[in-house]
Amino acid sequence: MLQRIIARNNITISGTGSKSMFLVHGFGCDQNMWRFITPQFKDDYKIILIDLVGSGKSDENSYDYKKYNSLEGYADDVIEICDVLKLEHVYFVGHSVSAMIGLLAAIKRPALFKKLIMIGPSPRYINCENYFGGFSQNDIDDLMETLDSNYLGWSSAMASVIMDNPDRPELASELEESFCQNNPEIARHFARVTFLGDNRSDLKKLTTDTLIIQSKTDAIASIKVGQFVHDNISNSKLEVLETTGHCPHLSAPSQTIEAMKKHLI
Amino acid sequence: MIYNIDYKELYNNFPSGYFCSLPDGTIIDSNNRFLDLTNYTREEVIGKKKFTDFLSQGGKIYFENVFSPALKLKGTIEEINFNFIKKEGVKFPVLINSVEVKDKEGIHLFTQSAIFNISQRKKYEHELLIAKRKANDLSNELIDINKELLSSAELILKQKSQLEEFNQHLENKNRQLSSFAHIASHNLRAPVSNLMALKDFYKESIDLEDKGMLFSKVEIVISHLNETLSELIESVKIQGNKGITHDPIIFDSVFHKTLEILDNQILDSKAVVTSNFSEFPNIKYPKLYMESIMLNLLSNSIRYSSPDRIAKIHFSTEINNNEVMFIAKDNGLGIDLQKHGHKLFGLNNTFHRHPDSKGVGLFMTKTQIEAIGGSITVESEVDKGTTFKIVLKKNIS
Repeated sequence: MLQRIIARNNITISGTGSKSMFLVHGFGCDQNMWRFITPQFKDDYKIILIDLVGSGKSDENSYDYKKYNSLEGYADDVIEICDVLKLEHVYFVGHSVSAMIGLLAAIKRPALFKKLIMIGPSPRYINCENYFGGFSQNDIDDLMETLDSNYLGWSSAMASVIMDNPDRPELASELEESFCQNNPEIARHFARVTFLGDNRSDLKKLTTDTLIIQSKTDAIASIKVGQFVHDNISNSKLEVLETTGHCPHLSAPSQTIEAMKKHLI
Repeated sequence: MIYNIDYKELYNNFPSGYFCSLPDGTIIDSNNRFLDLTNYTREEVIGKKKFTDFLSQGGKIYFENVFSPALKLKGTIEEINFNFIKKEGVKFPVLINSVEVKDKEGIHLFTQSAIFNISQRKKYEHELLIAKRKANDLSNELIDINKELLSSAELILKQKSQLEEFNQHLENKNRQLSSFAHIASHNLRAPVSNLMALKDFYKESIDLEDKGMLFSKVEIVISHLNETLSELIESVKIQGNKGITHDPIIFDSVFHKTLEILDNQILDSKAVVTSNFSEFPNIKYPKLYMESIMLNLLSNSIRYSSPDRIAKIHFSTEINNNEVMFIAKDNGLGIDLQKHGHKLFGLNNTFHRHPDSKGVGLFMTKTQIEAIGGSITVESEVDKGTTFKIVLKKNIS
């Protein structure tokens, strides 16, 4: 059971602390994205890193299109991992879509979580009446096209040839080592679930202490969206970082660490 | 020869677009080729446009979620396909390579990017994608057809095995029927000729007491005859319904019934008939077959006993290698197996010029034994005797 789940989510555990920090990457990446952050916490925390099923080096065969047709499927995995690892009072750090995964997990099992840290969260990406998400349905179709052209185009057509070429294993391993590679079909599905979802009504159900870390300029989750999340989660704080981009933990790791530490005391 | 290369000139007119951007994406320099591709003036771009300003909304999501993290983690990224938007709003496909330039402390100073216009190859790639999709559809169709074929093959195999089973069933029925016909004619033959003999004795006899004794014998034979008839009728019914039934049989009982049926012949021949079934006294076997087998073997041994010595006939059972054996041994005329062995169990073969010989018995016996999955073998020496060894059942457990 434990071995199966460890393999399923490519779980890695490090750090010597007694408290548990559980970090989960967002769409398009994997646990590598935490590498500038974790060294600052390894003395005080046990660091749990995972790859969401379908991302990074997770077990692709475990990708159940029905289960992962909503973020609940991922939230259940997070709870299951906490349970098999016997984690308590978890400090959960979720980037982008995983902020919502953490939200759902914490609503389901409030006792499991000590604190949620949401980096660049967005409960809904598509604009609608009285709500600004930043995108339209057409934009998501456009994203699909970009995903396709970077997977199904000539480069990925090559990738599938390379992967099917047992005579040249070095090519496959080179691809494997490249970061943030995902199975194209799974990536498409995950993109739809991520960018077409709507978790706005869940925000008010959260009782866990929450820190929202937000880049000043973020094309994916704008400051307006960050403010909306903050307004709708009762026990939340908002930290706006002087940086640009959707991944402040990559573009401004020291600011991100500082903001986290400030709220972890 | 020395060439004076003007690097500024080379940079500006290089066949790919170059630009340099700050960590927040603001473009701080570009070559002329980049400006040509995007239709902007230098003043409109430098210090004013960001990398992502040239991308559509969907492209921005990809940039922020995939391109940017990968570049941050690796420091370089290659061959990513975006659609760049020209000043007039027209999109054109590019491949982009980017590299982060850092100072000695590893602080990210700016990003250098090269873009290649791939409009021509994109059209071709589009055709390839359509062809690939068609090939995929075709392949899926083939997979479906193959599945259908496999399932019909499976169905045919199933039907074939049903037919084979049915055929086997018919063959069994056929074997049972022909075996039944033999039993009917043969088993009725012995008691009837017995009756004929008794009738002759009865006619010739003048003594009333003798007549009474003879008549009581007639009664016994008639009652056996009647029993055989009812069993034959019963077996027709049974065989009409299902396969051969296996009845619990006590060898001793069948043996004594056989002695009674052949009482006259035994008396006439003065044969000494003995048995020992102690090693395996009971079996489940078709009763009619067992009676027929014993009757045939015993009447054979009596019929072909030697006129030069008292006939000794012994029936017994044995267990050999997990097989139930029935053994019939006599000291009669014997058979020249070299000469007749190959047709010993054939139909209408007789090996002795004997008035009663009809050549049916052994064929029927063999047929019956084999119908139950057993086998029969013979050992014989002329003028010494014959031993039939019958495997009734294999793998008793």
